[in-house]
Amino acid sequence: MLYSADRLKKIFKKKVILNLTDLHLEREQIYALIGANGAGKTTLLNILAFLEPATEGTLLFCDREVKYREQELLRLRRRVVLVEQYPILFTRSVWKNVAFGLKVRGLSKSTCRERVEEALENVGMEDFRYADAHRLSGGESKRVALARALAVNPEVLLLDEPTANVDSENQEIILRVLKKINTEKGTSIVMATHYLAQSRQLAHQAILLENGMLSTVNTAKQNDLTAPEKFF
Amino acid sequence: MDFLFDSLQSAALLLLAGDPELLVIVGVSLKVSSISTFIASCLGIPCGFFIAYSSFYGKRLLLTCLNTLLALPTVVIGLLVYSFISRRGLLGSFDLLYTQKAIIIGQVILIVPLVTTLTIAAISRIDQRYRKTALTLGATQLQMAWVIIQEARYGIGAAVIASFGRVIAEVGISMMLGGNARGFTRTMTTAMALEYDKGEFVLAVALGLCLMSIAFAVNLLFHFFQGRTGVDAL
Repeated sequence: MLYSADRLKKIFKKKVILNLTDLHLEREQIYALIGANGAGKTTLLNILAFLEPATEGTLLFCDREVKYREQELLRLRRRVVLVEQYPILFTRSVWKNVAFGLKVRGLSKSTCRERVEEALENVGMEDFRYADAHRLSGGESKRVALARALAVNPEVLLLDEPTANVDSENQEIILRVLKKINTEKGTSIVMATHYLAQSRQLAHQAILLENGMLSTVNTAKQNDLTAPEKFF
Repeated sequence: MDFLFDSLQSAALLLLAGDPELLVIVGVSLKVSSISTFIASCLGIPCGFFIAYSSFYGKRLLLTCLNTLLALPTVVIGLLVYSFISRRGLLGSFDLLYTQKAIIIGQVILIVPLVTTLTIAAISRIDQRYRKTALTLGATQLQMAWVIIQEARYGIGAAVIASFGRVIAEVGISMMLGGNARGFTRTMTTAMALEYDKGEFVLAVALGLCLMSIAFAVNLLFHFFQGRTGVDAL
């Protein structure tokens, strides 16, 4: 099992924003995390990315309980990458942005070069490698952020609205890349999305969150996800 | 007005001729101010980062104290340091009084709050997503801190330049702790004060021109680097 959450609760300013009694995510699967704004999708992604701890409950990653100690968190974070809804790029070149995760891991220059090139080619941004990252458009920024995450070959890729505010061309590229890395590298993907069609097209399973609580977990291609229109 | 133009003309000639006394004074000023700015930056930037990025009991009080220290008069610092390094002081045995080291100590005390508060302001303006992004990409806390400092580099650079400007233009500390010894602790500002007292305005005006030129050159250099990295003016 990739993730197991038991009675996971996140309380912020005395308000319960996430309350999951039981959640299990398997390896090499694509999960679509769907729900209305404020349903707790981003909070859950942050917890799964080990960027913030839950207030209560236990989280298991690869069948081991997550301990929020700096050294252990670093080890875990190097296996999981989160790409935010509005990703921020460092004010340097596209190349240096994509190479960041590799440099902090102390990989050799040749490995860095190879991985950066591969990641940029994957998202079709190889022609922008020397461009200033902060001069890119929204869609291009998302693709570079995705390349930056892919460059470190994560076991788990967490995406918060990967195609929100992106034109159809960029959406297609992003979805194609996600499908490819899941099929070819077995990368597990959890993506928060508002798009039911995308969920059906890409995800193996859909997780429906409602007011911070788990509503349903179903195989996306089989379940009837047209019903809860109130969420979108 | 003739007096001012005559002084400016004579000062310009003095500068062009490379007057040795003038060069020594400028050299001492630059050396002392650069060292004190460097030390204050080494202390103030990490402190500013720590204060900006952590939450602890008494943080607001500390910020208020730092802001208050920004208004600390140079003569008060001069008196305080004097009481420590004078013969009868706690550090009297180190023979620091009327040395360049004494000026540096005083100037560091003067600008550490300035570097710290401006660094806090620069770091606080940085989007929290930089921190989150660095961590999710596998950065250690130290690597994350470096990312934030790099993102705040123009704000921090401005803090360092403002601090340099503060020390190179101060008189009180240099006069009280340096003693204005010719060729040794005489800085541009103390020399200007002395020349003014003597009624000799030519050297004072020449030093004033030097001071303005240095300030202009440092700012120009800063804006040049900003331009090269594609970031618009602050």
